[in-house]
Amino acid sequence: MLRLLSSCAAAALALIGSATLAVAEEKPIVIGADSPIQLQVGRDTVDALQLAIDEINGKGGVLGRKLQLAVEDETMDPQQGVAAIKKLTADEHVDVLIGGYNSGVTLAQEPHIADAKTIYLGIGSASPSITDFVGKNYKRFKYMFRVNPINAVRQADQLTGFVTGKVKGDLGFNTIAIIGENAKWVQDLTPVLKEGVEKGGVKVAVLELFDPDMSDFSPLLAKVKESGAQYLVVILSHANSDVFVKQWYDAKFPLPIGGIDVKSQDPDFFQRIGGKSISETVSLGILAEPLTPKTMPFWNAFVERYKRPPVYTAPGAYDALYLYAEAVERAKTTDPEMVIPELEKTKYQGTQGTYVFDEHHDVLPGPGLINLLYVQWQPDGKRVIVWPKELANGKMILPPWSNQHAEATK
Amino acid sequence: MFFEILVFGAVSSAVYAMLAVGFTLIFGVARILNLSHGAFYGLGAYCAYVLTNTAHWPLLPAAIFSVLFVAAFGAAVERWLVRPLRASALAVLMITLAVALLFEQAMLLIFGSEARNVPAFVTDTWTYAGLNISGQKLLTLASGIAVLGLLYLFIQKTRFGSAILAISQDPEAAQYMGIPANRMYSVVMGLSAAIAATAGVLTAPFLTVQPTMDLLPMVKAFAIVIVGGLGSIPGSILAALLLGYTETIVAYSPWQSWSETVSLIAVLLTLILRPAGLLGKRAAF
Repeated sequence: MLRLLSSCAAAALALIGSATLAVAEEKPIVIGADSPIQLQVGRDTVDALQLAIDEINGKGGVLGRKLQLAVEDETMDPQQGVAAIKKLTADEHVDVLIGGYNSGVTLAQEPHIADAKTIYLGIGSASPSITDFVGKNYKRFKYMFRVNPINAVRQADQLTGFVTGKVKGDLGFNTIAIIGENAKWVQDLTPVLKEGVEKGGVKVAVLELFDPDMSDFSPLLAKVKESGAQYLVVILSHANSDVFVKQWYDAKFPLPIGGIDVKSQDPDFFQRIGGKSISETVSLGILAEPLTPKTMPFWNAFVERYKRPPVYTAPGAYDALYLYAEAVERAKTTDPEMVIPELEKTKYQGTQGTYVFDEHHDVLPGPGLINLLYVQWQPDGKRVIVWPKELANGKMILPPWSNQHAEATK
Repeated sequence: MFFEILVFGAVSSAVYAMLAVGFTLIFGVARILNLSHGAFYGLGAYCAYVLTNTAHWPLLPAAIFSVLFVAAFGAAVERWLVRPLRASALAVLMITLAVALLFEQAMLLIFGSEARNVPAFVTDTWTYAGLNISGQKLLTLASGIAVLGLLYLFIQKTRFGSAILAISQDPEAAQYMGIPANRMYSVVMGLSAAIAATAGVLTAPFLTVQPTMDLLPMVKAFAIVIVGGLGSIPGSILAALLLGYTETIVAYSPWQSWSETVSLIAVLLTLILRPAGLLGKRAAF
């Protein structure tokens, strides 16, 4: 009788044990999105992640487990950003963090991400300092990866290519002015850009960093005008580029503008400032063009579901989740210690190109990898790729009030 | 350079004057230190944005409706929030600050933190002596002068204006003469809000429309009325001209990034050297 009882108990225990195991196996993989959701870049991060999650779950999930999203608003304030990371890691126990936008916020979060030993895939911040920590102290900061965008210094290299190749090479402008918001990523970018373009034979007549809260740009534009520059390179993300571009247009400013302008990447930028961004040329990671076989399916699915085109964080977040899912499948676990070596081996063709990380876990640009397109606003809000040459699908125009207006060059 | 400073300084001064006269008017008449004044400016701009972009109204009716709406909102704030607390200056300060914070949060939740675009009344650009000035800026300058002129006529030449003056000089005596003080306070608050909203609607096409857009105008208006003398309309206009031009001159100098500190330095100097302000009769603090 005692033997019967004990075998019953053992069977019951085994049943409970296997049930627990089954529950554990079915526990979803939690994706933590830390993003400034008051901004379009933040909302697009969350929406693109949800799109990817639904697609992956529709195909059975990862390792047989469903994916689940947890969102925290990191705002543009470092303190709130740190609180978001703590909440996602300590309360929600997320398996991976995907997000970021403001480099200052990401840098403040970095020690807390490392302490939580949670993989972080950055898809919005551009400061190279973020991934420099991986090189300085791999053991502590190996959890940090940047999937998107290309870091600020490498953006400077690509911008140098645009300035020396297109602005000087094709338009024939030898003197430029550079203005940018006074922010960490711009402080990282401008010295590299200045050195690069000067090596390429372009004179930098004036380089000014201004307060991101500035709302009257007339004095700054006057200074640029007096400098004798022929082209104005802008480096803007958090600053009010809606106001800047409107004032540039209203003043019929004699210099064409182009460079990095994150708000001008928004698909509705032209329309929302009344068409005043005409002829502004800005860098973009993605456009409704078949850059890879995955670009248009993603673009169309996003537009169909959310009734708006995506901004730059969306393809970054979407691709980040897919490449994480692939790494987890290869590692056969979500244990960061096992997934990190697999992430380091990433060679994933996503919506913007092929993602490969360098030794600092930073996404590498280059031919066949990820590249910035220089895209110009043209009449009726049409966007035309004008650089790099091999991807260009239209001719560059000058501002409508320019003496050399009409077709400038090929 | 001189011409640019002359024109852009005048535009800044006109905007500052529109912001400051309303702020000083309600203080001079009702002794209300209204920290929601910047919110009235922002609400005007957002209202114009909603009517033109969402409801697709033509700009002029949208602008007029926005100004009237904000005027009604201002009067309502006075009637329902300020009046019950008017016995305590500190309570008035807190309730108007709460209205300003509520405005910021409501705009953030409804519209997000991105800048919004309000179309310009004038899209042409005027060129004179090599300087291109947007028509909207010139319109703002002209409207600012017109608003201040109309306000002067209203206060000096109408019975209503005389009543406002009477209350500002001696509220008790004015009440004994049969002037309904409370109703006048609501009207003046509405008027003050309408002038701020006019500034908001006029500057929205070339400045920013964002949830935090109320803070800087509020600080500027406060600085100007301290320099000009709290409660003094001519003082506010004089101080608006002084600060508008000084800021523009600094912005065109090599010390451009110091331009935003001009108003703060002016406030410090005024409080130390002449606490009553340029044309104020007595120190307000």
